[in-house]
Amino acid sequence: MQEEKQQQPTLHSRRSLTLRFDIPISRTHEFWDALGEGRFLTTRCTACGNESFPPQADCPRCMSDRFEWVDIGREARLVTYTYVQVTPASFVNDDPYTIAIGEFANGIKVLAWLEGVPVERAKVGMKLTVEARRSSEGNPYYVFVPSLPS
Amino acid sequence: MNRVAIVGAGHSKFGKRKDVNLAELAFESIKQAVTDAGIERKEIKNVVVGSAGGWYEEALPAVVVNEYAGLRSVGTMRVEAACASGSAAVKVAHDSVATGESDVALAVGVEKMTEVDTMTSVELIGRAGSYMWEFENYGMTFPAYYALYAVSHMNRFKTTEEDMARVAVKAHHYGSLNPNAQFQKEITVEKVLSSQVVAWPLKLYDACPLTDGSAAVVLANEEVARRLTDTPVWIKGIGYSSDSANLSKRDDYVGLTASVEAGKRAYQAAKVTPRQVDVATCHDCFTIAEIMAYEDLGFCEKGEGARLVREGQTEIGGKIPVNLDGGLKAKGHPIGATGVSMMVEITKQLRGEAGRNRQAPIKNGIGLVHNVGGTGHYAYVTVLSRGA
Repeated sequence: MQEEKQQQPTLHSRRSLTLRFDIPISRTHEFWDALGEGRFLTTRCTACGNESFPPQADCPRCMSDRFEWVDIGREARLVTYTYVQVTPASFVNDDPYTIAIGEFANGIKVLAWLEGVPVERAKVGMKLTVEARRSSEGNPYYVFVPSLPS
Repeated sequence: MNRVAIVGAGHSKFGKRKDVNLAELAFESIKQAVTDAGIERKEIKNVVVGSAGGWYEEALPAVVVNEYAGLRSVGTMRVEAACASGSAAVKVAHDSVATGESDVALAVGVEKMTEVDTMTSVELIGRAGSYMWEFENYGMTFPAYYALYAVSHMNRFKTTEEDMARVAVKAHHYGSLNPNAQFQKEITVEKVLSSQVVAWPLKLYDACPLTDGSAAVVLANEEVARRLTDTPVWIKGIGYSSDSANLSKRDDYVGLTASVEAGKRAYQAAKVTPRQVDVATCHDCFTIAEIMAYEDLGFCEKGEGARLVREGQTEIGGKIPVNLDGGLKAKGHPIGATGVSMMVEITKQLRGEAGRNRQAPIKNGIGLVHNVGGTGHYAYVTVLSRGA
């Protein structure tokens, strides 16, 4: 019952396990295809008009599977953010990063990294632009950057 | 539906428990709870084990725990509601007694989080949301989730880092009086503010630790409860709710909608109001979470949570004492055990057995357990009462 006693004998297991998932994206792959072309799309249900992000093939409002892709533009407003200094094991090779939630004009909110501005200069309400990126493994993703003054 | 009482409570020492494996750790609480109840194990027909798992070697914790404790041929399952798995286990065990399926049921919460390295634990908790959209590319962490709420709360209500630090100071004060708590030392506001930033504005001392621990409660119907004890603690009402996996789908970031909903449902089921609650445990995985919980549960108005802390209203002698066991912050947060640990704490408070310098005055005989899973992904509120 001794706490923090470092000398307790433990058995270091001989078996290790690596998990890596193949995640199906076939029903909404257009999102990733368009992202590669610099467009930010999401799904709109053609039965009830509901727009969803993350994109989903089945409408959470009316359960219809009929949908179309809509371009929601690239401009968002910063809702909230944080600067992650202690990162998970699989991000060990990444520098600390800022995570933001941005809200688009149609009310859709998106969570992504915020790049191109030191966290001390991030401000709730500031204008952001979403940009496409590609990881070193070739996977597409997106980030926010501060919008250029117009 | 039958009335259901907690008739036995058990709690392990929380901390880095390199001295025991999963089953041995759970056994510590099971033995205490069964002894406290004064029943034979053969009377227990139903065992529900709350455990999130993934960071310890066993894949089927319920059967491993039951085998070690000599609980054979019981109806059993492991339940998962992230950090509210313990409350979920109590809920399922409660229902088996309430419906008459069993006369006596056992709810066990157990977690061993320190058998893997710290960064792997950070990874596993960070995946608790929407893996695909918020972890895969962006590496969310548990502190980061709550930091998004903290920034919003600070921006909207002028809540400060000092306010949040005061929550940690309170937690450590009561933790120092609880022999089962992981942290036994008092801290200062300055120490919190100068600790390492983990996800700004949250710092190391705003955060609960990684913890090994277990807790258990024996539940019984009224007939059995009257036979066993003069001090049954009744489960008067349970409310539970949930919210989106993706944080981006939430309407706002200044409170947990799941907590508000679970609270309303629990108050309604128990036919009590927030004002009648004598003592509560609130889910303080981070200091901001406790401040939001005060507001979400109706202990104060939205935006007034920090004021409650500044005025000492959630300490003994205040309007509503909260987390007199040290909370998740100082007692520790073994994910699946936490909800059951909270039930044990409120049971002891209502029995008047909480211990020196941390017993709340009990006037109405009403206690409340607030247990959140993930970042408001799940929420459970359980109202307990003593007396007839």
